[in-house]
Amino acid sequence: MSGYDHGGPAGYGQPGGGGVPGSPGSTYVPPPAPSPYQQPPQQPSARPRTSLAVALEQSRYRLLVTAAVVTTVFTAISVKLAMATLFAGGGEPRQHVALEVDNTTTNRADIVDRNGNLLATSLVTQSLFADPKLVSRPEEAAQKLVSVLPELDYKDLVGKLSGDRRFVWLKRNLTPKQQAAVHRLGIPGVAFEREERRFYPAGPLASHVVGFTGIDNNGLAGMEQGFNKRLTEDPGTPLQLSLDLRLQHVLKKELTATVQEFSAIGAAGIVFDVRTGEVLAMVSLPDFDPQDPTGLNPDTLFNRATLGVYEMGSTFKIFNSALAFDAGRIRPSDMFDAKNPIKIGRFTINDYHSLHRALTVAEVFQHSSNLGSVRMVQQVGIAAQKAFMTKMGFTKPTGLELPESGWPLVPNPWREVNSYTISFGHGISVSPMHTVAAAASVINGGLFHKPTLLKRNSDGEIPTEQVVSRQTSDLMRRMFRFVVTEGTGKSADVKGYVVGGKTGTADKQKGRHYQKNSRMSSFLGAFPMNDPRYVVYVLVDEPKATAKTYGYATGGWVAAPAAGRIIKQIGPLLNVPTVDESSPEILNSTFLNAAGSTNWQQSLPPVSAPPPSKGSTVASFPTQTKPR
Amino acid sequence: MKGKTWLFWGGLIAAAGGVLFQTSYDVQDLEEKLAGLNRKIIHEQESIQVLKAEWSYLNDPSKLEQMAQSYLALQPTEPRQYVAMDLIPMRPADAVPPPAPALPGQPGAAPLPPMVRAPGTGTSQVASARVPTVPNNTAAGIVPVSVPAAAKPLPMDKALERAAVVVPASLPSGGGVADPAPRVKPSALVPGAARAPVEKTPEKAATDRAAGKLAPNAPTSPNRATEVATRPVPLAASPVPAPKAATAQQPYQPKPTDSLGLLVARLGANR
Repeated sequence: MSGYDHGGPAGYGQPGGGGVPGSPGSTYVPPPAPSPYQQPPQQPSARPRTSLAVALEQSRYRLLVTAAVVTTVFTAISVKLAMATLFAGGGEPRQHVALEVDNTTTNRADIVDRNGNLLATSLVTQSLFADPKLVSRPEEAAQKLVSVLPELDYKDLVGKLSGDRRFVWLKRNLTPKQQAAVHRLGIPGVAFEREERRFYPAGPLASHVVGFTGIDNNGLAGMEQGFNKRLTEDPGTPLQLSLDLRLQHVLKKELTATVQEFSAIGAAGIVFDVRTGEVLAMVSLPDFDPQDPTGLNPDTLFNRATLGVYEMGSTFKIFNSALAFDAGRIRPSDMFDAKNPIKIGRFTINDYHSLHRALTVAEVFQHSSNLGSVRMVQQVGIAAQKAFMTKMGFTKPTGLELPESGWPLVPNPWREVNSYTISFGHGISVSPMHTVAAAASVINGGLFHKPTLLKRNSDGEIPTEQVVSRQTSDLMRRMFRFVVTEGTGKSADVKGYVVGGKTGTADKQKGRHYQKNSRMSSFLGAFPMNDPRYVVYVLVDEPKATAKTYGYATGGWVAAPAAGRIIKQIGPLLNVPTVDESSPEILNSTFLNAAGSTNWQQSLPPVSAPPPSKGSTVASFPTQTKPR
Repeated sequence: MKGKTWLFWGGLIAAAGGVLFQTSYDVQDLEEKLAGLNRKIIHEQESIQVLKAEWSYLNDPSKLEQMAQSYLALQPTEPRQYVAMDLIPMRPADAVPPPAPALPGQPGAAPLPPMVRAPGTGTSQVASARVPTVPNNTAAGIVPVSVPAAAKPLPMDKALERAAVVVPASLPSGGGVADPAPRVKPSALVPGAARAPVEKTPEKAATDRAAGKLAPNAPTSPNRATEVATRPVPLAASPVPAPKAATAQQPYQPKPTDSLGLLVARLGANR
C-alpha cells in the first residue's frame, strides 16, 4: 500500500505542479482565486483561511482518491484471481487430445474412382534443405550427399552449400530410404522439412480427368483444378469420381492400339452410362504423366474428349434422324432422293459413295448418305433444327466438372447452307462429350442427363430433361442396331451384347479448305440395344489407311473395330447379361430393315425359322453337361 | 497442545503438497505419453497412406495385365463364357445322381475350359495351398464328384480315423513324402456330403469348412498335374497303402467332372 501512496498524489497532483501546497509555484493558482462563490459559505465561520489549512484539505482529498483507486484496482485483481483459480476449472484448457484414427494427416483430399481405387493421394515426404552458414566443409558435405543421392550434381551442390544464403533447397520429396541415408551421414547444417507431395498411383491412366497439381499442391488441371477448393477444405473425405479404373484401362489400351495401327496423331474415347449420365471412362491420347506434366510435349495436356471441338461428321446423322422422327412427319420407310447432288450457292453436296437411287430413312442412316440427310432436314426446316440442336446441348459447354470444357462452334446466323451441312455433321463443331451425352439421350428413352464425372448417389435424384419422345428413341435404337447388323458398323458387333451404333468420318478443315487425307474417324456405339445402358465412343484423329483396311480410314474401318473390342472387354466388367440376338424378344425391340419395317417376322423368314433356343451362350460348356 | 495442532496441520499441508506434486508429475507423464502416442498415430497414418498408395500403384490395371500375361495362362473373359442362371437345369429333388456316367472312364472327353490356355500354373496354387487340411481324403479323392459321400467305401473311414493325426500337421512341416495325391476332395462339391453318416467326428466341421473353401477352385485343378500338385504334402503320419492306391488312380480324374462339378456346386448353392 505504501508504495502506491507516493504514486497516488504524484499522479493526481499533476495540476498542482510540484504538488507541494505551500510553495508559491509558478503555475499554481492559490485556492481563493478559482472560485469566488466559495467564499460566502466560509464567511460565517469567520475562521481565517490560512494557506496551510487549504493545503491540508487538499491532501486529504488526494489521499481519499488515491485510496479509492488503489482499492478498486486491487479488488479487480483479486476478483480476477479468484475467477482464474477457483472457477476456471483449474487453469487454461489442455490442448492434448487423442487423435481420431480416421483423420488424415494431409491437407488435400484423395481422389478415388467409383470403386474406391486411389487416383490421387497426398503423401508426406521429407525435403532436404541446407543452411550454408552452418556447413563447415561444403566439398566434403557435397561429396557425401552425392554418394547417397546420385541424381544430385556435385558442382551445383558445392555452389549451393558455399553460398551466402541462409536457406537453400537441396532436394524436394525424398523417399524414406533416401532420408534415412542422408540422416545417417550426419552432415551439420543439412536438415529435413516435412512436405506433402501429390501422388498418382494410376499414373497416366486417368491423367486428363484427374489433372495434376503444382509444386505447392495447387490444382492446375482436371479435377484437381476444378475441385481445388473442395479438396483443400475437406481433406478428410475423398472425392469420388464416376470413373471406373478397369474400363479406363480397357479403353486406353484399345485406343493406343488403334492409334498405333493407323499411325494416328491422337484419339479420344468415352464410356458413358446412359441411365445416369455418369462418365465411366474418358481417355484422350496422347496423354501425360501427372507426376511430371510439363516434361513432355505440351500437346499432351490437351483433352480431346472435352476441350477439343470437332466437326463430327456422320455421327451427327443420329441427331438429324432423331430430329426428323421427332418432328413427326418422317417415318423410317419414307423415301428420299440420294441420286442428284444438291447445289446451294457455290457448294455442291454429294455422297461419299453414292448409291444413285432413292433411299429410305433407314438406308440413309445405314449407308450414311449426306444427300438423304439434307433432304430430310429440308422437310423439317431450319428453325426446328436449330431448336433441336439447342435442346441437345450443342450450343453451350457440356457442364462437365472439368475446367477444360470446350465451347462449341455454332454458325451464327444459322442459314440454309449451315442447316444442310449440319445435317451430316459439318459446319458445327462440338466436343466428343457433347456428342456422347446427346446420343445417350436419343437412345435411352429421350431423357437428357447432364454428363458428370462425380459418382451419383444410388438414391439421389438425377436431373433429367425429356428431349425426344419415347417412340423416336425406340426407332433410333433400331437404326443403331441396323447400322451394326447391316450397315457401316458391322465390325463393332459383339456376339451376345446386341451392339448398335453409328460411324462417322469427317474431313478435317485446314485453313479454309477441307483436306481429303486428314480426317476424324469416329464410332458412337451403344449396348445392349434392346435396353441401352452404355455408350462407347471412339474418335481417332487423322488415321492413315493401312493395307489391312484396303486403303480406307473411315469410321467403319478404324473406330468401329476398336469400339467392338472395347465392348467385348467391358461388357463382362459391367455385368451386362449376354443375350441371344436372334431370340424373338430381342428382335422385337431392335429389328429394322432397309425398307424401314420393324416387323421382323414378316420380313425375315429365315431368321425366324431356326428355333431360337440353340443356346449359343452355353458354348463354353461341354455338351454332355447340358442334360443334367 | 498448540504445538501438536500446528504439527498436525503442517503435516497435512505437507502431505497435500506431496500428493499434489505427485499428481502433477503423473499428469505430466501421461501428457508426454499422449503426445508420443499421437506422434505414433500420425506416423502410422502416414504409413497407411503410403501403403494405400503403393497398393493402388501395384494394382494398376496396366501392370496387372502385364503380369497376368507373363505369368498366367489366363485370358480375358469373353461374353460367350457367361451363362444365364436360368439356363442351368435344377437338379431333381431327391434323386441320387448315378455314379456310373461320371466314373473315371472317359478322361479328356471334354475340352479344357476356354479360359485356360494350357495346362497352367498359377491358378491352382490357391486350390492346393489349402490341401493339407484335407489330406485324409486322398483315398476318397478319386471318387467322382457326383457320388455322394454315402457311397464312399472303407478308405474314407480309414482316412477319417487317421485324420485326427494328420490334420494338425501343417504345411511347412513338409513330411518329405512326395505324394501327388489328388488335391481336391470331390465330395466337397456335393452338398450331399452332409448326408454321410460317417462324418460324425469333430473332423466334420473341418472337412466341411475345407469343402466350402475348395469348391470354387475345384474345377480348375484336378484334371492336370500342376506344379503345386507335386508339392510334398505332410502325410508324415500315415504312409498307408490306401493313399498309394489313390495316387495310382489319380490321373484318372475325369475331366467332365470339372464343369459337372461346377454345375453341381451351383445347383447345390441354389437350394
